[in-house]
Amino acid sequence: MGRITLDKVTKSFGDIEVIPPLDLTIDEGEFVVFVGPSGCGKSTLLRLIAGLEDVSSGQIRIDRQDATHLPPAKRGLAMVFQSYALYPHMSVRKNIAFPLKMAGMDKAEQDKRVNYAAEVLNLSDYIDRKPGQLSGGQRQRVAIGRAIVREPAAFLFDEPLSNLDAALRVNMRLEISELHAKLKTTMVYVTHDQVEAMTMADKIVVLQAGRIEQVGSPLELYRAPRNRFVAGFIGSPKMNFITGAAAEAFGVHEIGVRPEHLQPSTESGMWKGTVGVGEHLGSDTFLHVHDTGLAETITVRASGEMALRHGDTIWLTPEADKIHKFDAAGLRVE
Amino acid sequence: MATQHSRAAARLMISPAVLLLLGWMLIPLGMTIYFSLLRYNLLMPGNNPYVGWENYKYFLTDPAFSAAIFNTLALVGGVLLITVVGGILLGLLLDQPMWGQGIVRILVIAPFFVMPTVSALVWKNMFMNPVNGLFAYLAQFLGLEPFDFLAQAPLMSIIGIVSWQWLPFATLILLTAMQSLDREQLEAAEMDGAGPFNRFFYIVLPHLARAVTVVVLIQTIFLLSVFAEILVTTNGGPGNASTNLTYLVYAESLLRFDVGTGSAGGVVAIVLANIVAIFLMRMIGKNLEA
Repeated sequence: MGRITLDKVTKSFGDIEVIPPLDLTIDEGEFVVFVGPSGCGKSTLLRLIAGLEDVSSGQIRIDRQDATHLPPAKRGLAMVFQSYALYPHMSVRKNIAFPLKMAGMDKAEQDKRVNYAAEVLNLSDYIDRKPGQLSGGQRQRVAIGRAIVREPAAFLFDEPLSNLDAALRVNMRLEISELHAKLKTTMVYVTHDQVEAMTMADKIVVLQAGRIEQVGSPLELYRAPRNRFVAGFIGSPKMNFITGAAAEAFGVHEIGVRPEHLQPSTESGMWKGTVGVGEHLGSDTFLHVHDTGLAETITVRASGEMALRHGDTIWLTPEADKIHKFDAAGLRVE
Repeated sequence: MATQHSRAAARLMISPAVLLLLGWMLIPLGMTIYFSLLRYNLLMPGNNPYVGWENYKYFLTDPAFSAAIFNTLALVGGVLLITVVGGILLGLLLDQPMWGQGIVRILVIAPFFVMPTVSALVWKNMFMNPVNGLFAYLAQFLGLEPFDFLAQAPLMSIIGIVSWQWLPFATLILLTAMQSLDREQLEAAEMDGAGPFNRFFYIVLPHLARAVTVVVLIQTIFLLSVFAEILVTTNGGPGNASTNLTYLVYAESLLRFDVGTGSAGGVVAIVLANIVAIFLMRMIGKNLEA
């Protein structure tokens, strides 16, 4: 249960093609994250899978059955919305039981499943409250509870953490990953935050303008981005891109080096520059280096203790085997 | 937190408005109560002796009174039922994306801008007239006998006319409420397996509860005092068939020139309005909280 296949799926709104023909397979039990900048079509893609939007052409198969024209409720998927979309006039219990009630399940079985979901999600203490009396994280959990009681073939998450504060987001990230480990159900998760994608996914799908740029595990994408877009999108802080003479020394149009793959030194190195702003995070310090003649700013990760001040001279040396090379079209060159 | 000083200043500054409003309401109320205790008939000039509760006794035992109470409640209840149900249905219809939506919405609101007197006359003469009315033509076209609405079903006809006037108001408020419903909630319900009817009953209708409350409360205030529609169509008749409390008070004071009984009727109307208001607030007022 829970294998989703998209076959040459397209979506147009009027004359505007939002998603050009797209193929994708989501395997059973996988945690797949759609990531990309805003407006890249990732939410549209999720809504196509959910059935909330009709595909313009192509086929969607869920568990090898054609689901292209099935209504959302018949697809056996459950969705968690960005705004949680809880029903404000119903208690937590009724919210969670709603899909079961709509399915005409008998009351005892409903109660059993709701209580189980409440237990799994630590909601038992709030079960008779209304959503308006809950905090953001609790509402999030109710929305997830409403999704899990149906025992769906797959869960769809549409930027579920974007309304939470930073600390809670880290918590919920762990809880969702934990839930996936426990339920082993397919999950499709949409986010614009590459940190969420990297930390949670089994498989990341990087999207840009409706096209899939690359599909792979987080480390595959990190180690071998297929093009300049993926290289720049995955990894934090962003990869440094260098063109010109320094790149030609490696025989390509452009090279990319991640901040963590540059060795800073106060004495000697490959490239010389001036230290600008330093962001001290404790364990690491991210230095913005100027006047290297390579790019406007080069970001480099130094150890947290590195004593460098604004205006100091610094030498940078890239780790030779961690340099990404790109041709003029932005594609990776091995 | 306001200081002692600023609170005193605030009281001082709003006092003129409060005093003006108090005078504005209390003086007429006081005079009405005062007149209601006098034998005061314009056809019998002279001294107006104090008669105690006589006017009330006379007004409350008048056979027209019980008819008027029933008619008032039937009018309010009937119009509320038609406008709330009709308003929800029209709102659902107008909420659908369609060509010319803006113009259609303005057209729907139009009846609300027609004066009650004018709309009642239009209905009386152009639609319900048994000889020249459009309904009469329609009945004749179908080979039926024209129905004399205002003579044979006077109260129902007035309920129809008043509903036509208030339907736009209800539609407007309910439509706005519908548009404020979060689309994601409907989509979530759709994913949860709720069909169109279940979505309406479990999601849309509860969301509309507050708007319905507002419509019911506001309309009740105005519907208790419907007058112009009755005056220009049926004059409260035939008999007392379409006399409501407001019209009965008018008939006592200005047709029978009995100011005393008319005032007593006015006081009774105030009490009735308050009873209705208390019941309404008890029943549905909790929807307005939070």
